[in-house]
Amino acid sequence: MSTRHAIARSIAPVIGITVFLVLWELTVRVLHVRPFVLRSPSDIVAYLGKAPDDFARAAWVTARHAFTGFAIAGVVALAVGAVLASSPFLERAAQPVLTLIQVTPFAAYIGAVVVWLDGGDPPVRFITSLVCVPAFVFAAVAGMRSADPASRELFASVDAGAWQVLWRLRLPSALPSLFVAARYNVGLALIAAYLVEGSNFADAGLGAIGKRAAANNLGDPLWATIFCVALLGSVALIAISALERTLLHWHPSQRQVGASWAGRAVRP
Amino acid sequence: MSAAITLTGLAKSFGTLAVVEPLDLDIRAGSFVSIVGPSGCGKSTLLRLVAGLEQPTAGDISIDGSSPAHGRARKRIAMVPQQPGLLPWRTVEQNARLLLEINPRTTAAHHPDPRDLLADVGLGEFLDAFPHQLSGGMQQRVALVRGFALGAPVVVMDEPFAALDEITRSEMRTLLAGLLERHPATVVFVTHSITEAVFLSDRVLVCSPRPARIVADVTVALERPRVDSVEDSAGFAAICAELRRELRMAMRP
Repeated sequence: MSTRHAIARSIAPVIGITVFLVLWELTVRVLHVRPFVLRSPSDIVAYLGKAPDDFARAAWVTARHAFTGFAIAGVVALAVGAVLASSPFLERAAQPVLTLIQVTPFAAYIGAVVVWLDGGDPPVRFITSLVCVPAFVFAAVAGMRSADPASRELFASVDAGAWQVLWRLRLPSALPSLFVAARYNVGLALIAAYLVEGSNFADAGLGAIGKRAAANNLGDPLWATIFCVALLGSVALIAISALERTLLHWHPSQRQVGASWAGRAVRP
Repeated sequence: MSAAITLTGLAKSFGTLAVVEPLDLDIRAGSFVSIVGPSGCGKSTLLRLVAGLEQPTAGDISIDGSSPAHGRARKRIAMVPQQPGLLPWRTVEQNARLLLEINPRTTAAHHPDPRDLLADVGLGEFLDAFPHQLSGGMQQRVALVRGFALGAPVVVMDEPFAALDEITRSEMRTLLAGLLERHPATVVFVTHSITEAVFLSDRVLVCSPRPARIVADVTVALERPRVDSVEDSAGFAAICAELRRELRMAMRP
C-alpha cells in the first residue's frame, strides 16, 4: 500500500464528517430552526466552552457507565456463548429469552429497575449490560460454531479437552463476529447509560444533564449532551477499529487484496 | 519407533448403513500402506477408526497392543487431514507447533523440531508468514510438518494431496517420502491416485464400494529410496495396471 493511498484512506472520514458538520450548520442558520429542535454545531461548541469541566466530568461518568456495562456483557456473553455453542438444546432454549431482551423497549422498564436496585450506579450497570448481552451471545455462538471442521478434527486427534478447544480454536474463530457485535453494542451501551442516568436519582453523567434540560425545555444543554454522547461513541468506535486491525489482521475483512509475505510474490 | 497395527473383525455401521464390513488386517511396523477405492467406499471411515475418531461397531483395533483411544490420548497417532486445517491467526511456525502445545505433558520426549521440519520442506523462510500468505501446496506442507512434529509412531493421512494440482502433488509425495526416510513411522494413507499410492507404498489395498471390503492386497516391491524416474519403469507400470484391473473388478456390480 502506497503512502498516498494510506493518507487518502485516513483523510476520507475526516472529509465526510466535515461536510456533515457544514451542512448541519447551514441548515440551522438558513432555515432558522428553533433552538430546542436543533442547535448548530458552532452553538453547541460555544455552549460546551462555557462549562467545559462540568461536561467533561459528566462525559467521563457516562463513558465509565457504558464501558462497564459493555464489558460485563462481553464477559457474561462469552461464558454463556461457550455453553450454548456446545449444546444445541440449550441454545434453542435460550434463544427466545435473548430475543425478548433484545426486542423489549428497555426505556419502558428503567423506572422499575431503578426502584428495584435503589437508584445510583447499580441500575445503570444492570440495564447497560443487559441490553448488550443478546448481540454478544448471538455473535459468540455463531462464531464459535463457525470453527473449521478440519481443525476441530485435528484437535480431537490429540484428545484436546474442551478448554483447549475453546481457548485455542473456538474463541479466536468467534472474534470476527464478536467485533461486529461490539460495534453495534457501543451505541446501545451509550444510549442505555444515558437514559438510565436520567432516572437514577444520582444526578451524575450526561443523561442527568440531558434529562434536566429536556424537562426545562433548554435546547443548549440538551444538545450539548447529545453532542458529547456522539463524540464518546466515535472515540469508542475508533478504538474498536484499531483493536480489530491488530487482532484480526489475519481475517479476510482486514486484509489488503494481493497481500504477500515480505514482498515475495505468493499466490493468493 | 514405528508401531504395528492390527485390525480384527473390524466393522462399522451408521444406523442400518454398513460402512465397513468385518475385516482383518495386519500392518507391519514401519510400513507404508495405502488404501485406494471409489469415493464414498468407507476408506475415510476406516482411517478415522484407526485414528480413534470413530468407535467400531464390532471388532478391535490394536496399535502396538493398545487401543486407538489410548494412542490418541498419548499423541501416538498423527493425523494429516485432506484440508490443511491451519489456524489463520497463527504463523506457519505456530501452526507447526500446535499439536505439541495441546496437552503438552503427553508430547513425546523426543520429537523432531518443527523448525527443522519446516526447513526440510522448503518453508524455512516462511516461519513468520500467515497461512493466507501461502499457496495451497505450501499450506499442505505446513500440515504435513504439524503431523510429523509429534514424532508419533503412526501417521494417518486422508487424501492429503487431493486438493492440489498435479505438479504440486508430485512435489508433495517426494517431500513426504523424504520426511519418512528421516522420521520413520507406520503410515496409513488414503488416496484416489493409483500412481501416488504405488510411488509411496510398501503395500496397496484396494477397497470395494461401500461397505468397505479389502478386495486386493498388492505388495510394491520397488527399491527405496524412490526417485521420480521410478514412475517410468516397467515394474511401476505393471503394478499400476494390476491395481487398475482390481479396481475395475471391484466396481463391477
